[in-house]
Amino acid sequence: MSEDFSPNPKKWLAIGVVGLTISFVGFFVDTQLAVWSYLIGLIFITSIAVGMLFLVMIHHIFDAEWSVIVRRQAEHYISALPYMGFLFIPLFIITYMGKDQGILWLWMNQDAPLHGHGTVSTDILYQKKTWWLSETFFWARAFFCFAVWTYFARAFRKNSFTQDQDGSPNHTFSSRKHAAAGLILVALTWTSAAFDWIMGLEYHWFSTMFGVWIFASAMRAALSVMLLTCAFLVAKGPLKGILNTKHLHDVATLAFAFTVFWAYISFSQYFLIWNANIPEETFWFNDREKGIWWPISMILIFGYFLFPFLYMLQFPLKTNFKSMTFMATWVLGLNLLDVFFNVLPSLKDSHGEPFQLFSSFHNIIWYISGVAGAGGVLLWAYWSSFLKTKIIPIRDPRIRDCLNHNH
Amino acid sequence: MANQHGIIAKFDTPAGIMHAAEKVRDAGYKNWDVITPFPIHGMDPAMGIKRSLVGRFTIVGGTIGLTTGMLMIWFTGASELSLPYMDGYKLIVGGKPYFSPQFAFPVSYELTILFSAFASIGGMFILNKLPRHHHPVLKYKDVAASSDDKFFLYIQNEDPQFDGEKTRSFLKNLGPVEVGELEE
Repeated sequence: MSEDFSPNPKKWLAIGVVGLTISFVGFFVDTQLAVWSYLIGLIFITSIAVGMLFLVMIHHIFDAEWSVIVRRQAEHYISALPYMGFLFIPLFIITYMGKDQGILWLWMNQDAPLHGHGTVSTDILYQKKTWWLSETFFWARAFFCFAVWTYFARAFRKNSFTQDQDGSPNHTFSSRKHAAAGLILVALTWTSAAFDWIMGLEYHWFSTMFGVWIFASAMRAALSVMLLTCAFLVAKGPLKGILNTKHLHDVATLAFAFTVFWAYISFSQYFLIWNANIPEETFWFNDREKGIWWPISMILIFGYFLFPFLYMLQFPLKTNFKSMTFMATWVLGLNLLDVFFNVLPSLKDSHGEPFQLFSSFHNIIWYISGVAGAGGVLLWAYWSSFLKTKIIPIRDPRIRDCLNHNH
Repeated sequence: MANQHGIIAKFDTPAGIMHAAEKVRDAGYKNWDVITPFPIHGMDPAMGIKRSLVGRFTIVGGTIGLTTGMLMIWFTGASELSLPYMDGYKLIVGGKPYFSPQFAFPVSYELTILFSAFASIGGMFILNKLPRHHHPVLKYKDVAASSDDKFFLYIQNEDPQFDGEKTRSFLKNLGPVEVGELEE
């Protein structure tokens, strides 16, 4: 490791705290938007951490050799999952301490007027869903999600870091078993989180593909962060000469694969709704064609799918740290835009029209603070864990194959 | 003796043939190849082989497939073009527009994959100069061992640098188990 490389986790914690403080102030200034922006930031950052958890599990279930040194970085990121659980608590408090219980999830306020017909409690579409959309069950599910993620994150981290000390292959076997169970449980909990936290914002709407769509999103976000992390660590020294272009190519290929997967799911969901043409389903997309959301949906098709697809088809670009740094930054930015696209139009004004992204210039303050709050915590967790452990899993049974990785 | 095709050398180990390949590459030979029972990692750079061009064929095939699908559905549903034996007329299906990329997409996408696959296989045949039913190396006496535990390297006499005795002693210096003649 080069001597001038000394990451400071506290710097990131400071950024996180500043972001959270601004969000907190926003709660009193511009209550609704500040809370929604906070939710967006939390979902975006949690999806990165959950995507990293998936990467660790995929590594173990396939007994992969190329990704051993990459996995260590993911193990640092998943240490943020319990903190994301803490950051979820304010949403509970806001729901029950604020003026409007339906500030985020409209259905939680039984008396909320619906645009054009009655209130939530008299709405047949709500009545048929009460078994799932019950407040106790909702918060219990959220708790269960974070409990599952935290449990698996801790198990994989413990196995991997203990193996650094004693070199026993039993930790690898233990991780493999955890991965088998974890892939199922995390897939179910992440689906439930997508249904509850994002789709539940507009409880009239339903799409069974929504969970897997958000899974694809999470993987794209996590792989972009992974590419940036690898490029950074190689440029700064710690992984220089350890992580080579072969490893980069493999991570980039995964990012490419999930680009196609995201497009496939995204299109399938849109196509089924477009083709069936049922008002209960189409209104969700109609809202996202109003105002600025129309150009944004075009940006998502051409900028978030087509451009990365054509870019990452090319072998020379996938094996170059600089070009992948650019692509990862691009994809991560549009991934955040995709979260906005999913969440924000569900917020309605008094005429029942979707909220517009830049309805007022100062909106951007809450957007930035929402993402910076959770993002600062994520990077603080990453660097804290980074400093405490070995840079690569030196006693992993596959480490030699990984370092000599060749195609 | 029949016409000479080239000179062949037999090696015992993957490492042996890999180092030999690097030396043949550095000596500047062009028309030569190695025959091994299994893929050896790193052999491509050792032989100085560039990345395959099959991908170029694939992207062309894929683009043609996508265009074909879109045009086909546009023609059958939205055009009034008259082609030989085929007259286009407008067709309403399920209350949808005459043409929309949405419903043309699944078919176009399948054709993209189909044409990409055809182009890849076709491109592979063209680049490998297939089909080819016989190769002179098959005449060599124990070439069958190349599917078991022996490794072969041969240089063709068409190579601009090929010079009977010099090439033979060059190959001998690479540490093979034996060096032999290949007949045409």
